[in-house]
Amino acid sequence: MRRGALISFQASGGLLMVLIVAAMAFLACFAMAGTLGASKLANAWTEGLSGAATVRIGAEDGVSQDQVDIVLDILRETDGVIEATPLTDEEVAALLEPWFGTTPRLEDLPAPTIIAVRIDPLNEPESAILQARLDGAGAGAIYDDHGEWRGRAASAARAVRNVALGALIICALAIAMVVVLTVRSSLAAQRATIATLRLAGAEDRFVAGVYQTRYLWLGLAGGVIGCAMAGAAMLAVDALASVGRALPALAATGQWWLGPVAVVVFVAVLCVLAARLTVLRALRSGA
Amino acid sequence: MIVFEDVGFRYGRGPDVLKNLDFEVPEGAFTFVTGASGAGKSSLLRLLYLDAVPSSGRISMFGRDVTTLSRDEIAWFRRRIGVVFQDFRLLDHLTAAENVALPLRVAGAKVSEYRENVVEMLRWVGLGDQMDVKPPQLSGGEKQRIAIARAVVASPDIILADEPTGSVDPVMAERIMQLFVEMNRLGKTVVLATHDLDLAEQTGHPVLELQGGSLMARVAA
Ligand SMILES: Nc1ncnc2c1ncn2[C@@H]1O[C@H](COP(=O)(O)OP(=O)(O)O)[C@@H](O)[C@H]1O
Ligand SMILES: [Mg+2]
Repeated sequence: MRRGALISFQASGGLLMVLIVAAMAFLACFAMAGTLGASKLANAWTEGLSGAATVRIGAEDGVSQDQVDIVLDILRETDGVIEATPLTDEEVAALLEPWFGTTPRLEDLPAPTIIAVRIDPLNEPESAILQARLDGAGAGAIYDDHGEWRGRAASAARAVRNVALGALIICALAIAMVVVLTVRSSLAAQRATIATLRLAGAEDRFVAGVYQTRYLWLGLAGGVIGCAMAGAAMLAVDALASVGRALPALAATGQWWLGPVAVVVFVAVLCVLAARLTVLRALRSGA
Repeated sequence: MIVFEDVGFRYGRGPDVLKNLDFEVPEGAFTFVTGASGAGKSSLLRLLYLDAVPSSGRISMFGRDVTTLSRDEIAWFRRRIGVVFQDFRLLDHLTAAENVALPLRVAGAKVSEYRENVVEMLRWVGLGDQMDVKPPQLSGGEKQRIAIARAVVASPDIILADEPTGSVDPVMAERIMQLFVEMNRLGKTVVLATHDLDLAEQTGHPVLELQGGSLMARVAA
């Protein structure tokens, strides 16, 4: 004995639904990569900056060893400072090389003294307080923990993440809307059949179950198609990006496929839930 | 089992279709509802299969006031009520066997649990060889018998039939009446609506006669 579908769905409606879900899932994968990639991006920009700070001692009329010692003492007494070492002339020269090249001899320049400070990233010294103490010592030292740059990188990353999250939400809303509209039109077209199911003793959740099964498959089909295409596109983008490494690679880590898989699961769950709620609401409101 | 107390019914703001109905159908009874076309027979059955609620008065079934039932409870009550609709209400995209199996399927039963039962029902109504045919390929009388098989397959306590002999010849009508008598012998309460007063009176069962929505007479057996 066969067990035919209780509600006959239009194949064309299903196809349309799969195509729209596929398109949205495709976009959602990139939005997802954007959300996850934003923090990677910020890390890439600030890599090595956290845990490192510098103190620069002014140089118009030369820097005395006394000045340096006072500053070193202050630094070493400060909680959160692990190590403070003045850079050698060669190290300073190496730092300045990109700007001045190798030709001028360092002694000819009013080069500042730079102290490399290693700080505990989990217990960073308050830069304003430290700066006040340095000012108090009158050594003309300037503390720089790259806070401004790190702050800007972090807020740029936040902005990227928020835009990506917004795009994810829009994709989800678009999918939910397509489900609601197609379920409603199907409920209207299948009114007589559904009334017969109810008269035969079907609970509302049984009818909803028929739609949930249908939309589970439509959601999975659309999700898998869209995410597979997105995955392929990411690998292709990576292949291009790896040449210059200008972008943090989308697929650089071993778990890059987790994003698309999560999108497939999310899309399927979203389709099922939206279908269920739409059916239950319509039936209760006396459809 | 079924108690009507001063029941009135109308569709929306339309005229009264049923007026001041006061009667009881005891458990295990075989009751006819008769009346001319438009007298309100189908509307009375709709109240009984909970597809409509009375505009006034009270109906109780299985000891419950039916207006207090939740949607889920209505579904569960309907599983105890088998209905042969005047227009059959078969699902054209399903086979005869799938149509008969519908009440079992919506109640959550598996094919393996109901296969034999469904086949037996189809044989009982004489359609054992039409199991895989879909309703559009069946005659009116065959559809009617599928509707009957579907109404009784889940072994409901109450069987409601709206003009169940409406689209068959007298010989088949006789056979169909026999099916209801058999179900009644098994202890089912049967309420059968027909415009054919003669058919009702021949059997000697109680008759509720409707005229313009009012109960005219109750002919005792
Ligand atoms: N769905 C409906 N909406 C409005 N009026 C209806 C509806 N169904 C039946 N009626 C009216 O209710 C009255 C009784 O109809 P019905 O119960 O079908 O009688 P019967 O089954 O005895 O022929 C008739 O006047 C009919 O026009
Ligand atoms: Mg009628």
